[in-house]
Amino acid sequence: MSDAPEFQYDDIEPLPISGGQEGELCQIMYDGEYRTVMGIARALLQKLEFSERALHATSQAIDLVPAFYTMWNYRFQIVKALYGTDGAELNRELDWLDEFTLNNPKNYQIWSYRQALLRLHPSPEFQRELPILQSMIDDDTKNYHVWSYRRWCVLFFGDFTNELQFASSLIARDVYNNSAWCHRMFVLKNQVPKGPPAEALTGELHYTKKQIELAPQNISSWNYLRGLYDEFLDGKADPAIMEFALSFTPGIFAADASDTGPQIQSSYALEFLARAYAKNEDTFAQARKAYQALSDHFDPIRKNFWAYKIRSLTA
Amino acid sequence: MNTATAFLEACNELYITLKENAIPTAWRGARAGSSCESAVCACLVCVCVLSACTHCFPFTRALCSFGLVFRTNHLKKPPAPMAGSDLRTVRFINTQLLGRRRPTVELVSEDEHDLQEDPAIAMNSLSTETTADREEVLFDCAELYEALADVEPTLFKHAHRSYLDYALGHPLPPQMKALDASQPWLLYWTACALRLMDPQWLTQDVQRKMVHKLALCALDSGPYCGGFGQQAHLVCNYAAINALALCDNIDGCWASIKREGIYEWLLTLKMPGGGFRTGALLGECDSRSTYCALSVASMLGVLTPELCEGVEAFLLRCQTYEGGFGACPHEDEAHGGYTFCAAAGLAILGSLRKCDTAKLLDWCSARQTNEEKGLSGRSNKLVDGCYSYWVGAVAAILEAYGLGESIDKSQLREYILKCCQSKERPGLRDKPGKSPDYYHTAYVLMGLSATEYSFSVRDCPQRIQSARLVEQPDVEPVNPIFGLPIDVLARFVDYNAAR
Repeated sequence: MSDAPEFQYDDIEPLPISGGQEGELCQIMYDGEYRTVMGIARALLQKLEFSERALHATSQAIDLVPAFYTMWNYRFQIVKALYGTDGAELNRELDWLDEFTLNNPKNYQIWSYRQALLRLHPSPEFQRELPILQSMIDDDTKNYHVWSYRRWCVLFFGDFTNELQFASSLIARDVYNNSAWCHRMFVLKNQVPKGPPAEALTGELHYTKKQIELAPQNISSWNYLRGLYDEFLDGKADPAIMEFALSFTPGIFAADASDTGPQIQSSYALEFLARAYAKNEDTFAQARKAYQALSDHFDPIRKNFWAYKIRSLTA
Repeated sequence: MNTATAFLEACNELYITLKENAIPTAWRGARAGSSCESAVCACLVCVCVLSACTHCFPFTRALCSFGLVFRTNHLKKPPAPMAGSDLRTVRFINTQLLGRRRPTVELVSEDEHDLQEDPAIAMNSLSTETTADREEVLFDCAELYEALADVEPTLFKHAHRSYLDYALGHPLPPQMKALDASQPWLLYWTACALRLMDPQWLTQDVQRKMVHKLALCALDSGPYCGGFGQQAHLVCNYAAINALALCDNIDGCWASIKREGIYEWLLTLKMPGGGFRTGALLGECDSRSTYCALSVASMLGVLTPELCEGVEAFLLRCQTYEGGFGACPHEDEAHGGYTFCAAAGLAILGSLRKCDTAKLLDWCSARQTNEEKGLSGRSNKLVDGCYSYWVGAVAAILEAYGLGESIDKSQLREYILKCCQSKERPGLRDKPGKSPDYYHTAYVLMGLSATEYSFSVRDCPQRIQSARLVEQPDVEPVNPIFGLPIDVLARFVDYNAAR
């Protein structure tokens, strides 16, 4: 922070930052810098001083321990008091936050603070948020907080324009990125309140099948396919999709399938089929066969679960 | 430059970068493709330091290892994509992409072409960041399972005890200030871990000190904060109450919990959508913070209709198409930590059956993989010991309510005992190659407990009962909804019911 303006805190008596008890359990051996920075920030907070120097004190404290939520709370009070709903000033605060975010990608506090700033802002813009979101996801493609914040933004701004394309680009980069697949479902479920129009759903099914063909043993794309049927098609698998799933499990339902089981391309295809067969009493036999094959050959660690599913068939 | 020199330089660089608070800059610089070995070392040391606090479901960003730990095997070159001759790739493709359990030796070949012409392999194998990351872990786990094939796994209890006692018997080094706003967590993790291994190991002396420390973390009105002089925080309050429960009402300490004040404060955190947020002014509102409110209110006997209004609907909306639960009700990704919070929260409300339990069971089961044997927290993410509890507890809750079996407990136990601990360093860890920390030590042990007992529930969630699955369990039974030893929870709940 070499270019930061110099602030004077000489009139502030730093508050103690620990209880000072002899033999206190898990006492952290704070260094002098930490005691001073935190002590001053605490003293300013106790006075409820809302000033530029107090703002600076909170940024110093947050730099040292990003998870120090008390300082985030105080910082928000200062920003509200100093800037109110002045968009230009709030943009400056967002600039500071961008820089901080890039350096602390896994922090919890950043995101609710960011949401609070946008709610305060007189004219918040999704465009302003996109670069930082892009950069954060580029750096860590499954960062939970960033994806969650992106969804919050989409709903806050009511703007779904870029979302499917954004998810597609991440899936093109790594077809196993489950966060990106979830984002597609978020778009489908929220963009149109009544659910996606028929042609959009058809397009989505087509897209998903293409991705499955690219990498058949992928839990994310198969879960998504199942999700599309469960959420928008009453969970009813049609003959075409059954045919599609069967193409990854050749010979598995043949009457003379050997004990060792044939090679298949995807255990998730077999799961998909088993679930569909388990919905109809007429196809319980196929469901049982699929669950048994999963238990014996393709996914044996889940044998308790497969056994439970087989028991449920007769129940 | 040899490795030792590079390492020393890296440490020096790290010291400077830490001083300047610019770890990510060094990290990015290294990742940008710098071939300078020392930069890579620096970045790896940064990762060692940061990984403990950032990568998994963090109730806090817990920097829990002392000092810097550097493992030279982090210098293993990352596997080249699509290298058909690479044994690891072969193993990976064989077991993961093809889901078969054919012995690896069949695929070991001098001739690369042989492998590429194997029709089963040539088809549709696709190497991405996800597969490369997993491949590394598969290799590490396979190595350990091979080396320990004939070993009856046991918990290195005394080593772990010394690791936990250290934190309770010494001042903590300055770098632990990363936990400055999460101090009740450290108490809860260490006390719970000790107590699970042996009820006698949490001594009265430590219990007394815990009570004094937590009193310093409390506001006059009742709620608990992350540390002395801080503001109240919902998840720190949860850790503090659980830590106090572990103190066995020593010197009558439970009477000092101001439950009316805590209750009034909880009401102020309630949001219109039904969830609770972590602080009165700011803070996230998600399934985690909501669980923390419910757990504390239930344990203190103040789970009123007013407090519960709308909470069930909020948690139900967090369930996703995959079957697990996310952080927020806007179709977040299903995640082990949030799934625990939502499922345990629903159980506390008596509403577990209102979610799609079949899909939840399915999702839990899919977290366990054949090769690692441990649990992951999300689809296509890596195994991590802490999900032995987050996901293992959900499986235990479903089991207790008669809603089905999902995971293979004995295989998970094997992952915990063979991959989450080592003879070299006390404490439990995320996975091979990671350093132990207090967060993982607690949750891996709690997960271990969920593998050594079966669970059933008669009337209420505080009264979950357990039965041994192994002849000599390593740890005491944990209540999978509240994250406390079953007997500890029962006494605390009884006390508050009679208050």
